[in-house]
Amino acid sequence: MAYLTQPDYVTYVCSCSQLKPITSLYFCRHCLQIRCGFCICHEVDSHYCANCLENMPSSEARLKKNRCSSCFDCPSCFHTLSTRATLAQQRQSQEAAAAGDTKVENKASKKMYYLSCFNCRWTSRDVGIPDQPVGGWPERTHPHAARLAALLEHCRAISQLEKQDRLEKERKKFTIRGKYITLTDKTGLTGAMARSLAGMPAEGAPAAGFPPSVAEEEVEGLPEDFYTKEVDLKQITSMPQRLASPEWQPVLVSRLQPLPRALSVKRSQRCRQCDHNLTKPEYNPGSIKFKIELLALYHVPEVKIISCDPLKPGGTGSLLLKLCNPTPHELALRLLPHDYGTEVEECAEEEEGDEKEPKPKKEVSKRPALPSYSHLSPLDVSLSLAQRDDAAEYDDDAQAAQPQHEIVMWRKSNKMALRLNVSLSEDAPADRCAVAFTLEYSYRNTLPPSAAAPRQPQDHTLRTTVLLDLGKLTV
Amino acid sequence: MELQDIYYNKQEYVETASGNKVSRQTVLCGSQNIVLHGKVIVQSDAIIRGDLANVKTGRFCIISKKSVIRPPFKKFSKGVAFFPLQMGDHVFIGENTVVNAAVVGSYVYIGKNVVIGRRCILKDCCMIEDNSVLPAETVVPSFARYSGSPARLITTLPEAMPDLMTEFTKNYYQHFLPTTPK
Repeated sequence: MAYLTQPDYVTYVCSCSQLKPITSLYFCRHCLQIRCGFCICHEVDSHYCANCLENMPSSEARLKKNRCSSCFDCPSCFHTLSTRATLAQQRQSQEAAAAGDTKVENKASKKMYYLSCFNCRWTSRDVGIPDQPVGGWPERTHPHAARLAALLEHCRAISQLEKQDRLEKERKKFTIRGKYITLTDKTGLTGAMARSLAGMPAEGAPAAGFPPSVAEEEVEGLPEDFYTKEVDLKQITSMPQRLASPEWQPVLVSRLQPLPRALSVKRSQRCRQCDHNLTKPEYNPGSIKFKIELLALYHVPEVKIISCDPLKPGGTGSLLLKLCNPTPHELALRLLPHDYGTEVEECAEEEEGDEKEPKPKKEVSKRPALPSYSHLSPLDVSLSLAQRDDAAEYDDDAQAAQPQHEIVMWRKSNKMALRLNVSLSEDAPADRCAVAFTLEYSYRNTLPPSAAAPRQPQDHTLRTTVLLDLGKLTV
Repeated sequence: MELQDIYYNKQEYVETASGNKVSRQTVLCGSQNIVLHGKVIVQSDAIIRGDLANVKTGRFCIISKKSVIRPPFKKFSKGVAFFPLQMGDHVFIGENTVVNAAVVGSYVYIGKNVVIGRRCILKDCCMIEDNSVLPAETVVPSFARYSGSPARLITTLPEAMPDLMTEFTKNYYQHFLPTTPK
């Protein structure tokens, strides 16, 4: 939780050399690499309304312009509007009495609804929208709707035409297709092809009869009293209020209309290198569960700062770290200097040379700038950390005696605390001091063997570089 | 940063068999209507209005100092009715916060000096930042982080939010220790 309420004191170096806290990192267990939001693909899984939690298929969402049909936002303060019920009885009977009509009376007990904002007290009655009986609110069509639809249709036809052209070319290149789904089936172009085979005019035809927009030189002038009329700011909408409904852009407060609520999406993440899913949420919008959830927090040892001595430039102090093993296997850990990887990279490359996926060499060069003015000691220490055991908190008996290293302060189930020394050189920046180290850890891949890779090695030794923010120095 | 130990006066707190730690300095109205499901911490000067309607919390909830938990009401044509307030597991409620929600899901973090309006629905895994005001009848979806007055969605939360909250509330409970008399 501290990750969300405090600044990021501990950041990890992602495989794309971004520095990120462990909570925003993913771990691809197919490439065995740490990934972050910048180096993965984000995909829209499903659309839903965050207010009524109604799911909407993506085709329907597109049709409704990604807006919910039953929920509205306040056009004044953008909070969600609530539906209020009133008994229309009194008003109608009054009207009926006034009109001297008796027929209305049997309908009189009907409930009528209006929209009201609990934040700014805006109601749909303020702008003269009549109360509605049960059911939807009327949809408004804006003056340029027809023209926009025509433009859209035109653009679609052109893109269809272009796709078809490209397809023709492609078809000439590859004449033989396997039994698998072809590109044409995937993109829904078989229909377009069928049309052309049948000799019907292609859908690009409407392009001929399309009236293009014409720019006008003469524009309507400003009204006479534009500079002289006194401005009542209370009656004029603010910029955000206008831009919230781009097709209307109301100038006066009295023209504000409820905004259909924008839909939210559930996202799934995919590794860009191997195209495997990193996270995939469950379809149900109310669910917080995931079908696939490859987070760094579940695979990479977590480092936390317990405390750090006040430090001076050129001085030393002790730093207490807590390490946590989130995996169900025992970890072998090694603390290394942060520039360790760069020196050994070349020989490591040779060792891994026979692996199928060669590591891109670029990664070495694009490492972020890590502090060279601070050092941790002792480094090059090998440690082991017990596996995660959810039942451990209920066990009373103490940990089985493990070979203790002098830097280990305590161990508790899958966690341990280390006491390290930070030494700073004289040129350490006083405002923000940091120290980096590389953590080497064993990783057991629990991937079931697949047809593509029947016997991959299960145990790996991986490295990640961690940057610790030690805050301000005392001068 | 790792959570530091929080010490309390042993005389001040009552610990129940299910591990609830409730301060004597609290106002628990209608205590027969309040269900704390175990390992819940209710700190000093907190107010829980069980006399209005039932209040139920899950396990590992933390109700900080001077916060108010109050079941929401709804106005009808014939007067007012109060509705029960339900709270899931691993919920943190900060200091000086007023909660009038109808439902607070699991793994919810509510900061300090927050007002949660009447009949709000906070879904599982959401976060309301410090000093926010959530107007009445707001629905906060999962993995949303709300802030401001009126509170708006500012960003999303990491997928590991359930684990973060579980760890945080369990850690808090473990670090909430009685002062050892010397």
